[in-house]
Amino acid sequence: MSFPKKPGGKALDVLQNLPRITLANLRPEPGARQTDKRRGRGQHGGNRSGRGHKGERQRGNRPRLGFEGGQTPFYLAIPKYGFNEGHSRRPQYHPLTLKRLQYLIDLGRVDPTQPIDLTQLVNARGVTIQPLKRDYGVQLVDEGADIFAAKINIEVQRATEGAIAAIERNGGVITTSFYDPISLDILIKPVPFFVRGQPIPKRMLPGEDMLPYYTSADNRGYLADPDKIQQARLALAQKYGYILPDISKDELYHMLAMRKDIRQIFFGLSPGWVVNMPEKKILKPTDEKLLKYYSS
Amino acid sequence: MAAFIARRSCVFCRCVGINVIRQHVTLRNGVLRHTNKTFQSSVSYGTRETAGTQETQVHIPVERLTISYSRSSGPGGQHVNKVSTKAEVRFHVQTAEWIPEDVREKILEKNKTRITKAGELLVTSELSRSQQRNLSDCIQKISAIIAEASEKPHEPTAEDIALRAARLEKRNKERLRKKKIHSATKQNRRVDFD
Repeated sequence: MSFPKKPGGKALDVLQNLPRITLANLRPEPGARQTDKRRGRGQHGGNRSGRGHKGERQRGNRPRLGFEGGQTPFYLAIPKYGFNEGHSRRPQYHPLTLKRLQYLIDLGRVDPTQPIDLTQLVNARGVTIQPLKRDYGVQLVDEGADIFAAKINIEVQRATEGAIAAIERNGGVITTSFYDPISLDILIKPVPFFVRGQPIPKRMLPGEDMLPYYTSADNRGYLADPDKIQQARLALAQKYGYILPDISKDELYHMLAMRKDIRQIFFGLSPGWVVNMPEKKILKPTDEKLLKYYSS
Repeated sequence: MAAFIARRSCVFCRCVGINVIRQHVTLRNGVLRHTNKTFQSSVSYGTRETAGTQETQVHIPVERLTISYSRSSGPGGQHVNKVSTKAEVRFHVQTAEWIPEDVREKILEKNKTRITKAGELLVTSELSRSQQRNLSDCIQKISAIIAEASEKPHEPTAEDIALRAARLEKRNKERLRKKKIHSATKQNRRVDFD
């Protein structure tokens, strides 16, 4: 349709007609270069050069930061308390506001007609997850619940009650599920993982401390009982004062009901399969022991 | 909705060997159930304590309520000036069939200040910055009003009556015993001539 333009096309044409470019002809855009502030120069800035009058200040010998002249400094007087103890072992969840989610959907970066996963969000550059910094996923926050109006099937790692209410009010489905750090790394960057040539591992179940969260229906955990989830949906509708729309009569019901298996990382791919990217083939294990392991 | 649930549980069978996976989950659930056993029995000496914590909450039909939003009052700059966060919920009390008759009468009696001339109960909330939370707060207030109005005067059970009778009797016996002792003391102090 359009011919590929050579880079700098118009500029090259202009150059051919202008006189020779020398250092005398070149000048930066006004406002592009800001001159540095130089202290202690000139008639008014000189003399003591902005250092004050005698003493440690002028002579550059002030004591260390926090020193209070011999009085026990603040940072030593206050007793220690473990506010930050174990901070590097705490799981972190990047917050995703409903406002941002609506923004992504409106711009077409995230497709609401397919189940929304952490992979979809990262592909859309909606969130940035760093598994090496103890990120365990994304949490849905209810800021922007007033303007949220999209029917989606979303899977996150944590969600606040208001966010769950906002999604269900619009006829969507929300699930919270757990990804261990290795699975999370694979989920975020699927292509580099497939390039490695390793079989897809099975997703691990949550540990003791996180199990109550993912087995409770109030949090829409992926391990919770579907009946209890239905009851929780009704109770939440009662609490927040909206009528729960009936999803089973929706045309996108099949998409909304799609859920990953407990050990599955990707939709459509089971643990144990090897994806061959260059040849575009999927290799599945046939050995009994392997099948038994990957299906357990 | 049953179809929806059935579909969802079918969706679980996407991957191979669903039965074995279920075992994992039930094992863990078994562990959890052990810890929940301890919270069952709390002996109460009378039957008064259970009355306050009844879970028979009236279901509030949201479609019967008139909900409107307006701008909240107070400080807050541009946000409070522009965004309608104050939630107002009204419903006509006499025609609300989802509340029992006697409870309706009680609501009208107790909440005279909340009833408009048209006979509607009006509840507002501007507690938080969010419309949804304020609406939720209004609904909570309505259910509190209904719960307060449906409180029944505490009827003593047979246990209570028996307990009270036993205590009264014991009290009386003790009184008479002490009276006899006092009388004996007084008699001992008397000095009889002859």
